[in-house]
Amino acid sequence: MKKTLTLLLTAIICLGLVMSASAAGRADKESITIALQGELTTLDAQYPDDGNMRPITQNIYDTLYVLEKETLEPKPWLATGMNLVDSLTWEFKLREGVKFHDGSPLTVEDVVFSINRNISPELNSQFLNSVDAIDHAEAVDANTFRIVTKEPDPLLLKRLTLIPILSKAFTEAHTANELTLVANGTGPYKFVEWKSGSHVKITANENYWGEAPAIKNATYRFIEEKLTALSALQAGEVDLAVNILPEYVENTPKVFTNTSFETYWVRFNQIPENNSVFKNKDLRLAANYAIDFNTIAEALFLGYATPCQGQMGRDGYVGYNPNIIEYPYDVEKAKELMKAAGYNGEEIEFVSQRGRWLKDGELTEAIASYLLEAGFNVKTKILSWSEWLNVLFDKTKAPDIILSSNSNDFFDMDRPFSACVLSTSSQSAMNNPEYDAAILAARQELDTAKRQAMYEDLAAKFHEDPFALYTLSINDLHGGAADLNWTPRRDTRLYLIEMSFSD
Amino acid sequence: MGMGKYILQRLAFTILVVLVISILVFVLTRVVGNPVDILLPLTATTEQRELLTKQLGLDRPMIQQLGDFLKSAATLDFGDSWTQRRPSMEVIFDYLPISALLILCAMAIAVLVAFPLGIIAAYKRGSLLDRFLTVLSLVGICMPPFWIGLMLMFFFAVKLGWLPTSGIGTWKHFILPAVTISFRPMGNLAQIVRYEMTQQLGEMYAITARAKGVREINLLRKHALKNIMTSSITMIGNDYCKQLGGLSAAVEVVYGFPGFGHLIKETIQSMDYPLLQAEVFFTAVIVCLINLIVDILYAAFDPRIRY
Repeated sequence: MKKTLTLLLTAIICLGLVMSASAAGRADKESITIALQGELTTLDAQYPDDGNMRPITQNIYDTLYVLEKETLEPKPWLATGMNLVDSLTWEFKLREGVKFHDGSPLTVEDVVFSINRNISPELNSQFLNSVDAIDHAEAVDANTFRIVTKEPDPLLLKRLTLIPILSKAFTEAHTANELTLVANGTGPYKFVEWKSGSHVKITANENYWGEAPAIKNATYRFIEEKLTALSALQAGEVDLAVNILPEYVENTPKVFTNTSFETYWVRFNQIPENNSVFKNKDLRLAANYAIDFNTIAEALFLGYATPCQGQMGRDGYVGYNPNIIEYPYDVEKAKELMKAAGYNGEEIEFVSQRGRWLKDGELTEAIASYLLEAGFNVKTKILSWSEWLNVLFDKTKAPDIILSSNSNDFFDMDRPFSACVLSTSSQSAMNNPEYDAAILAARQELDTAKRQAMYEDLAAKFHEDPFALYTLSINDLHGGAADLNWTPRRDTRLYLIEMSFSD
Repeated sequence: MGMGKYILQRLAFTILVVLVISILVFVLTRVVGNPVDILLPLTATTEQRELLTKQLGLDRPMIQQLGDFLKSAATLDFGDSWTQRRPSMEVIFDYLPISALLILCAMAIAVLVAFPLGIIAAYKRGSLLDRFLTVLSLVGICMPPFWIGLMLMFFFAVKLGWLPTSGIGTWKHFILPAVTISFRPMGNLAQIVRYEMTQQLGEMYAITARAKGVREINLLRKHALKNIMTSSITMIGNDYCKQLGGLSAAVEVVYGFPGFGHLIKETIQSMDYPLLQAEVFFTAVIVCLINLIVDILYAAFDPRIRY
């Protein structure tokens, strides 16, 4: 019912847009209003894993490293250079002359404090798992500090792109409650105000150590309902609406899109103690042959999705294997494999949920219908988010297949392999000591070329012996004002410094 | 029994209701799922989950958790919100007053429209106009509010540009959400007014009054209207409670309006127990208080009712 109405309304809006057209020049080219999908939970950027906070705090706080826009390689930011002392100890130089928004200078003590705070169990940061490979940080001299890792860690520099650098004195002067509502970074923008429920405002930091931004003032509004965000964009109230629906593209003044790092995957239950048909490798392969992800990407996501290439990795990821091609859509082959495996119509439980990620419910239905067509006796079960989580993490309840999403913000195959395959992961449903050993070895390999080869080898193995239905990644899709100049980044960061309005 | 004593009794009753509801919610939320899983990202490690379980005190026996909750709730301290990491009370005071005001505006619109409509329909009952008004009020009740909201937004904000699409800040931001919310109570109220008024106009006193030559407007103003007040007030109070208790959530979400319904919806999704407890507490208190006010108003309109 809701969908039909939404469609109807979209149609009306289409009509309306055809009839209306305005092109007045922008009076204020230094201010932007951005519609986020919801309200941030806190300004304490080291704590939450919050997609509504990061777009704001990433402009307020600097990090030691940032990802280079095109290559996705870490490049020095607040750090100016690095030198590996031994396989566990990394020594960094700190950029000089950098000041916090409150005027105090950035020191090595601030950096050491920030890193140690972010990895501390007391804070228990929601993204602790991304940074807890770090054992501790320590100061060496006035502009040198060291970071010691627990194991040799090739991902350290990418981890540092996640840790906001805070002022030690400022942070210690505030209580935990107060820190949720204040911010003092070294970034290109200063925090101005957060009006609960309404907006956050930030303004350019005149004393920024880097290039001055074209946009001086930004207001972030929280609009959960996507059709409302589109309306606000059409009415000219906002200049950028993040994550619009593919259906809205035609009614959006200007579309901004890029591939993203979120990949849908359907986990096969291979737990030895469980009684799932997918312990059979041929059936896992058969399922991968049975689904036409190119058609799904076109029909369901209107082309704003990228099917997987027979692996979880993507072009540009460390560990992507360019020699693997996607499984062709071949129902006959799937049926042959099923026959050879002796599949006899055993019921297959397919657990999923609806509403957490873009079109997750629709994708579930599409996958299920392809599997049914190939002869798999699939029974789909849509759960609420909390029930779904419970099923995902409880290995005794593991269904035959379950749809989930993997986020690879490091663009490195350690992420999906550690989350989806490694037997100790709370999300994996398999136990293969050989794969475990290979993943753990690659995780500690500091030689980039060797590491790449290790992952390519693993990707090839996982193509022959799939641990999942490698489905597709959704592309990032934003709607903006016609005169907004911006190229979305693959790491999805919304750096205001990269935006401007044309004349 | 005097009025004062009656109010005291009702207040004592309120405390009991709030206590029972709080305990119920406390127990029910703790059996439906694991908030730690919801609070942490999918990739969080098992150790991280265990650590958070401990930090939130969820590893302790439930009876002990309940005891602590009741102790601090007695001093109106519900603890820090797990998602917003600041006192739950503070969060509530950011969201509740603005919603209370919005729904008050909506109810005012509903009353101002529903009374004339209901009365006209009662006078012209059976006519085409009556049927039209009845259909209109039924449409108001049946149309999904989020859809009304999107339609109004499309015409008045996107097409005509008269009003902002969403958000808060000025009085203009209240108009569309208030009108949208008003549709359902307006429909309900118009039905009640029409029905009750039809009854009143057929009563012996009305016939007698008319026979004595009392003008219709005076009959309406001095007698009939007063007699339909009790049921109307009940309806208004009821609708107000329902909207504030979460029914307004859909409209608030559509208009990006940071209200209480919106907050309740998000809190339930994130299983933020301390905040949820505080919300339930306040909702229960408000519902009880509004009922009390309605009861007092009864006495004002109907001299037969004395407490």
